[in-house]
Amino acid sequence: MNCDECQENISVFLDNELDETLSLSIQTHLLACRDCAKVCEDFAVILDSCRVEKPSEIVPPNSQALWCRINNIIESEPKREPETVETRKGWFSRGWQFSQIGSVVLGVALISSLLTVIGMRNYFEPSTVDFTSRTSASQTTFEKVLSRVGLSDTPQQSRMRRFQEQQAAIEYWNKRAQERRVQWDNKMRDAFDRNLYEIDQAVSEYTTILQQDPQDDLSGEMLDSTLNEKMNLLRAFSEL
Amino acid sequence: MIRELKNCLRFLSDRKTTILLWLSVVFFFAPVSNEVLGQKRFSRNYPAIKNVRLQLLNRSGTVIVEGWDRPEINISAYLESPAANIAPQSLSGTIFIDLVKDNQGRNGIGNVNFLIRVPRVSNVDIETRIGNLSVTNVGGNLVRACITTEGDITLTNIAAGAVDAQNGIGDIFFDGEMRTGGQYRFTSMRGNINLRIPFSSSFRLVATAPSTRNISLGSFANPEMTFGDGRRVIGRFGGGSAALTVTNQRGSIAFIRR
Repeated sequence: MNCDECQENISVFLDNELDETLSLSIQTHLLACRDCAKVCEDFAVILDSCRVEKPSEIVPPNSQALWCRINNIIESEPKREPETVETRKGWFSRGWQFSQIGSVVLGVALISSLLTVIGMRNYFEPSTVDFTSRTSASQTTFEKVLSRVGLSDTPQQSRMRRFQEQQAAIEYWNKRAQERRVQWDNKMRDAFDRNLYEIDQAVSEYTTILQQDPQDDLSGEMLDSTLNEKMNLLRAFSEL
Repeated sequence: MIRELKNCLRFLSDRKTTILLWLSVVFFFAPVSNEVLGQKRFSRNYPAIKNVRLQLLNRSGTVIVEGWDRPEINISAYLESPAANIAPQSLSGTIFIDLVKDNQGRNGIGNVNFLIRVPRVSNVDIETRIGNLSVTNVGGNLVRACITTEGDITLTNIAAGAVDAQNGIGDIFFDGEMRTGGQYRFTSMRGNINLRIPFSSSFRLVATAPSTRNISLGSFANPEMTFGDGRRVIGRFGGGSAALTVTNQRGSIAFIRR
């Protein structure tokens, strides 16, 4: 069992609602993994405090009187007068001209056709790759607009975010691999070190390129894939 | 007493050549016999039903998988000492061998070298931490060969619908056909990737060698292939029905006409 599976099932495990096999494998994992054991402990503390807490500490004293006061305040507020609406008999009576109506219709048609084109492109263009590995070239118009107004990440920003996530995972697996390292024979240790060196060389190469040219999507993509390989290497060796 | 000793010495001097010959024979074969004695052999046969799948995870050693015409799977393993635990499991047509799980926490286990024979139309999924992998004469839906660290991958006479070969440091050689709509992926950190495919193949190509920029398309080069700055080649060959992705972080990529 890995940490993700364990943490996913911790809540059900604490409720004693897991089947015996899964429960046993979680117990075994918790004995071996300090991080998951800490998560389990935190969960247990929260659950205990919920059980121990008295309802009087959650509900305010004399709650009925409080609700009455709130109700009185709402009712005592002066009601708004309904706005008088000036009735119009039609668009033409507002002084609209045929040319103005025509230009409005034309504008609506133009905007809707543009939106249709953009929508179709957005529907067909995105490939199977996830957003983190998307390049600025493959970014759709809609995404570009969103990132311009700050509503979504640019490919560079999402790459940075992804990079930080990968680094965190690498640190975790590296710690576990180092704990296991004493159990490997010399051949394993040498092969591991040589491969890690190669990967680190590649990471440093791509990082240097990206520092000089943050728009270099290919180096970003390669950095992402190299960090994944490093993570896989560490994970594979931490299981030995 | 002295006379007996003298007789003995005379006997030895008379047969000096024969004794020397025998001693040399003993010394010559001594290391070989030690090696044989230090190795255990494991062998097992399984009847093959439809949709055979071999799933093997080795720690270290060579793995050779060969396709044959018999409806059975034959697993032979040579275990160097200290011998690893090996416990294959057969479940609805899939043979599972997981030496990492079977030997977790054990120190200094010897190499396990496999020779596995499977029906030609089998799915093969093999992985090792260190060592060479070789698959020959297999044409099922999937051939996957993965080396976590070092070793060469050799895939010959392959006609699978999907091929995935991945290693750290080492060469990858593929010699086979590409099926319509198939998916083929070759990934290495450092080494040479050589692909020998028929000229009648049809594929969409993404080949990347960012460090060396050494991508040789050979006979497969055509105006539909774009080289950009040399780090990546994207293009189409023939109708472009299969997807071919080749990535070599710090090595070369070469295409050879079959």
